[in-house]
Amino acid sequence: MRIALLLFASILLVSQAAAQMDRQRADPNRPVDELFWSTAVIGTSSVTNLSAGDLNYSIKHAFGLVSSGIENLYGVDGSANIRFGLDYGVRDWLSVGMGRSRFDKVYDFRVKANVLRQTVSGSSPLEVAVLGDVGITTIKNGFSFTDRLSYAGMLMLGRRFSDRLAVQVSPTVAHFNTVFIARDGDGNVVEEENTHIGVAVAANWRLNELFAVVIEYVPVLGGRSDNTTDAVSVGVDIETGGHVFQLFFSTSDWLTEQHMLARNDDDFFAGDFRWGFNIHRTFAF
Amino acid sequence: MRYLSLTLVLAFLAMPVSGQAFMTDSGTAEFESSVPLHSFVGTSEVLVGRIALPDSTVDFYLDLETLDTGNGKRDKDMKKTLDTDEHPFAEFFGKLVSPFDPDGGQQEARVVGSFSLHGVTREVEVSGTLEPTANGLQLNAAWELSLEDYDIVPPKLLIIKVDPIQQVRISALLTPESGT
Repeated sequence: MRIALLLFASILLVSQAAAQMDRQRADPNRPVDELFWSTAVIGTSSVTNLSAGDLNYSIKHAFGLVSSGIENLYGVDGSANIRFGLDYGVRDWLSVGMGRSRFDKVYDFRVKANVLRQTVSGSSPLEVAVLGDVGITTIKNGFSFTDRLSYAGMLMLGRRFSDRLAVQVSPTVAHFNTVFIARDGDGNVVEEENTHIGVAVAANWRLNELFAVVIEYVPVLGGRSDNTTDAVSVGVDIETGGHVFQLFFSTSDWLTEQHMLARNDDDFFAGDFRWGFNIHRTFAF
Repeated sequence: MRYLSLTLVLAFLAMPVSGQAFMTDSGTAEFESSVPLHSFVGTSEVLVGRIALPDSTVDFYLDLETLDTGNGKRDKDMKKTLDTDEHPFAEFFGKLVSPFDPDGGQQEARVVGSFSLHGVTREVEVSGTLEPTANGLQLNAAWELSLEDYDIVPPKLLIIKVDPIQQVRISALLTPESGT
């Protein structure tokens, strides 16, 4: 009996010595995969932020209305808005950036901070980020500096529900220091509001490692400027490794959050949308 | 008395096994990857490993999500390429097949065993050096790894394909296993 026990103990010890170690993840509270492949959903910002030291260069481009027909090559000949942007990751949770849009010759400066990251362990169920943007129109019109300013503030609440689906809900406020009252072609008074409040809703559905479908809806809640509508965009993200291309149809030809919320005046379901594209390229420094 | 003698025998058997096992959870693993006109290095400082001299067992693994290439976007792309959600570890389990003198200096070391990556396991032989030091065992090794051997499609930067051959290096100071 004693010999049997010794034999058993020896086998046990030898087998323990030869056993593999348990494989353990280095960080059980690591963040989930990025909710969006780029820092923009389409027209508005996404909860995805840059890593520290990363420089992101973006080009946003929105053409004229598709409904303008073949003679305008479905909007390509129309007036296009373009925004060039540079954003830099100061920390893994903090980025700063600036951009310049063709419409109204707007320069905008922004800060985005991720205050909470969704984790795979579920210890944090949400991704939470805040964005602040200040726009300065530089059209020569005699306005004072203060009159030229516009602002956007976004609280982005995102969640990855599965490997494929991520959703973001973003209460947003937009404010323009200067607004106008005018008459339209029919003689009706058109009055703009200084402040708009809305809740941007966005979703990303990954088809595979290369393609994802993205939708974005930016409804205004409460008072709004006359003749404006809620912006709607539908697009495809293409992840090429290094670049992210976004091809989309959108009602909005405005390319900052405050303009998209307050100035959109085309109705997606009336066929008034345009196509556009965004290109994002990230460099490391 | 019977149980006492059994306990002593068990303790005696246990001593040499655990007394000559070495571990690390802070080794360095690097890979060097290249595309035309450009190369980059991914580094992790949390290589986990164990070498048990009595039975020559060598066991290492790396959480691939700890690799840092210095570009957050590229790191995310790399994790997608390696499918780290499904296959989070690169791991080796095998035997030290070259003779090793614990009282000697730096020595050539050769291990043979199974290397697993991206859900594919292959038998490999890796050479390096092993050096007894005052603090434990210093291990250094380097080898070439073919992505295609592990069903990894080399990612593209637009139309430029990443070299499917990666240079891999590991370095670790393994200290005597605690409790010995």
